Amino acid sequence: MKEVIIQGLSQAYSNLVHMFAEFLPRLLVMLVIVIVGLLVAYVLKMILRAVLHVTRLDRLSEEAGASRFLRMAALPSMTELLSRSLFWVTWLGFILIGISVLGVAGLQEQISRLFLLLPAIFIAILILFVGLVTANFLSRAALLAAVNAGYTSPKLLSWSIRFVIWALAVSMALEQVGVARQTVLAAFSIVFGAVMLGLAIAFGLGGRELAREFLERNLRDKKKEKYEEPQPL
Amino acid sequence: MAEESFLADDFLRQLMSVGEVDLIVGVPTYNNASTLGQTLLSVEESLRQNFVRERTVILNVDGASADETRQLFLHGGGRSDTVRNGLTSLRTTHRISCEYGKAPSQGLALHNIVAAADLLRAKACAVVSPATTNLTPSWVANLLRPVYREGLDFVAPLYARSRFQGLLARDLLYPVSRAIFGQRIREIYCEEWGFSGRLASQCLEKDVWREEAVRARPEAWMAVTAIGAGLKCGQSFLGPKIAPPTGTDIVEIIRQTVGNFFWCMETNQAQWLSWSDSQPVATFGPDHELSLDGIPPSQEKIFELFRSGVGELEPILASILAQDTHAQIKAIALSDRSKFHFPLELWVKTVYEFAASYHHTVLNRDHLVQALVPLYRGRLFSFLLEHADSATEVMETQSEALCQEFERQKPYLVERWTAKR
Repeated sequence: MKEVIIQGLSQAYSNLVHMFAEFLPRLLVMLVIVIVGLLVAYVLKMILRAVLHVTRLDRLSEEAGASRFLRMAALPSMTELLSRSLFWVTWLGFILIGISVLGVAGLQEQISRLFLLLPAIFIAILILFVGLVTANFLSRAALLAAVNAGYTSPKLLSWSIRFVIWALAVSMALEQVGVARQTVLAAFSIVFGAVMLGLAIAFGLGGRELAREFLERNLRDKKKEKYEEPQPL
Repeated sequence: MAEESFLADDFLRQLMSVGEVDLIVGVPTYNNASTLGQTLLSVEESLRQNFVRERTVILNVDGASADETRQLFLHGGGRSDTVRNGLTSLRTTHRISCEYGKAPSQGLALHNIVAAADLLRAKACAVVSPATTNLTPSWVANLLRPVYREGLDFVAPLYARSRFQGLLARDLLYPVSRAIFGQRIREIYCEEWGFSGRLASQCLEKDVWREEAVRARPEAWMAVTAIGAGLKCGQSFLGPKIAPPTGTDIVEIIRQTVGNFFWCMETNQAQWLSWSDSQPVATFGPDHELSLDGIPPSQEKIFELFRSGVGELEPILASILAQDTHAQIKAIALSDRSKFHFPLELWVKTVYEFAASYHHTVLNRDHLVQALVPLYRGRLFSFLLEHADSATEVMETQSEALCQEFERQKPYLVERWTAKR
C-alpha cells in the first residue's frame, strides 16, 4: 500500500517535472517573442510617427477639424493616435503569437481568429479617421457656402452631410471587422432610405408650396430677384 | 534657360523669329472674341502713337478658348494698316499667340508672358485685359511709359470710380497692403498693370507658379516681389473703371484676393514683419478720383447676410478670432439696423486676427477666408449707412483714417503672427 502511494506520488512528481521541462522552454520562447514584439512595435511606432510628422498629418487634421473632436474626447493628436494604434496592434499580434507557442489546448483556434481580425481592426480605425476628417471638412464647406449664399437653415444642411458621412464610415468600419455584417448593412440601408424618403415626402407633400415658390424663384424670376453685390474691385 | 522647358515648341519658334524687343503687351484671353478686336486696335494705336521707334510685340496667351479668339488675334482682329493722325510706326508690331493650358488661369498666362519678356529681353511690359471694354490707347501708354522711360519696375493702375465702386479694394485690400508692405499702391489687385524686364526675370526665377494663389491672381504677388526686392513701384492713372456686366461673386473674389494676400504675407514674412510705416509711390496722374455718380446698392440683404453669418458661423469665428473681438462682433450683430456701426478699430483687428489665424492654420485656409465674407458684408453695410450722402472728400478722409488705423495696429498683428500656438 505504502509503495503504491509512493509510486503514485513519484509518478505525479515526474509528470510535473516533465510538464515543466516541456513548458518552460515554450514560456521562454513566448517571453522572447513578446519582448522582440515590444521592440518591433516600438520601432514601427517611431517610424510611423516620423513619417506622419513629415507628411504634416496633424496640420491636415487640424485644418479638417478632426483634431477638435479628438481634443473633445481627451485623445492625443492624430499622429500620436495612429502611431500608438500601430504600436498596440503590432505588439498584440506578437503577444498572440507568443501565447500560441505555449500550445494551450482550446486557445489556439481563438487566438488564430483574433489574429486574423487585427489588420481588419486597424483598417476599421483608418476608415473611421478618414470618415471623421471628410465629414468635418465637407460639412464645414457646405455650411460656409450656404451661409454666404444666404440659404435658409445652413446648419441643417451641414449636419445632414456630417450625419450621412459618419453613418457611412461607421457602417463601413463595422463591416470591415465583421460585426453583424448583414445587420449593419440592412440598418444602414433602412436608415439612409428612410431619411431620403422622409425628405422627399416632407418636401413633396408638406412643402409643396415652398417647393413651388423655390422653383419659381430660381427658374422663372431668377434675374429679377437676384441680389447683386456692390462692385468690390 | 531653365524655364524654357515649359514653353511650347511652336511658341518658342515664334519668339525666336521675333528676336529682341523693347516692349511687350500681353493680352491674356479666354473666350474674348467679341471684345478682343477693340482691345487690339487700342494697343496697336498706342504703340504707333507713343513708341514709334521701339521694337514691339503683342503677345496673346490663351486659356484654350472655345470661340475664335486665337484665330481673330492672329488673322486680323483689330489690325489696321491705315496711318492715323499722321503717325506711323517705323517698325513692325509683331503678334504672337500661344495656348498655355486647357483651362484659363491668370497665373499661367503671366508665367508665359514673363518667360517671353525674359527671352526677348524686353525692357517694359504691360498686361491688358480684353474684358475691359473701355480700354483706350492712352491706358497702354500710361502703363508702359513709367517703366520704359522713368525706370520703374512695377506700375499699378489708378482708376476713376464712382463712390460705391471698388469697396473691397478701398476698405480692405489697399489699407492692409499699404500697412503690411509699406507702399501706398492703391490698386494692388487689377487687370491692367506694367512691369520691367528686370522684374520679369526675377519673377521667373521664383518657384511659385504652381501655387493656387499665384495661378488665380498673380498681379499682387508680382507687386510684393518688386517691393521685397527693393525695386521701384509706382501707379499711373488710366481712366474710369467700368464694371463687368455679369453679376459679382463676392465669395470667389474674396477667396482670390484676400486668400492671395494672406498667402503673400505668409511667403514674405521675413521682410514685412520688421517694416513699419508706409511710403508714397511715384504717381502719374491724379492719385485718386471718386465721382458722385452711382446709387448706393441695396442694403437690406447685406445686413441680413451679416447677421445670419455671425450667428451660423459662431464656432468657426470663435476658432479664428480673439474672444474679445468675437464678443464685440456678436454684440454689433444684435444691434438695431438703423444704428448699426462697425468701428474701424474692430474691423482692423478682425482682419489682422484672420491673417494671423491663416498663418497658424487654425482651420482649412480656404474655409478661413470664406468665413471673412459675412464680416466684410457687415463692414460694407456700415460704410454704406455712413456714407449714403457723404461728399467724396469725406469718403477719402475716412479712407485715409482707415489706412492709418491699419498701420497703427500693425504691432498687434506682428504679436499675434509671431505668437507660438
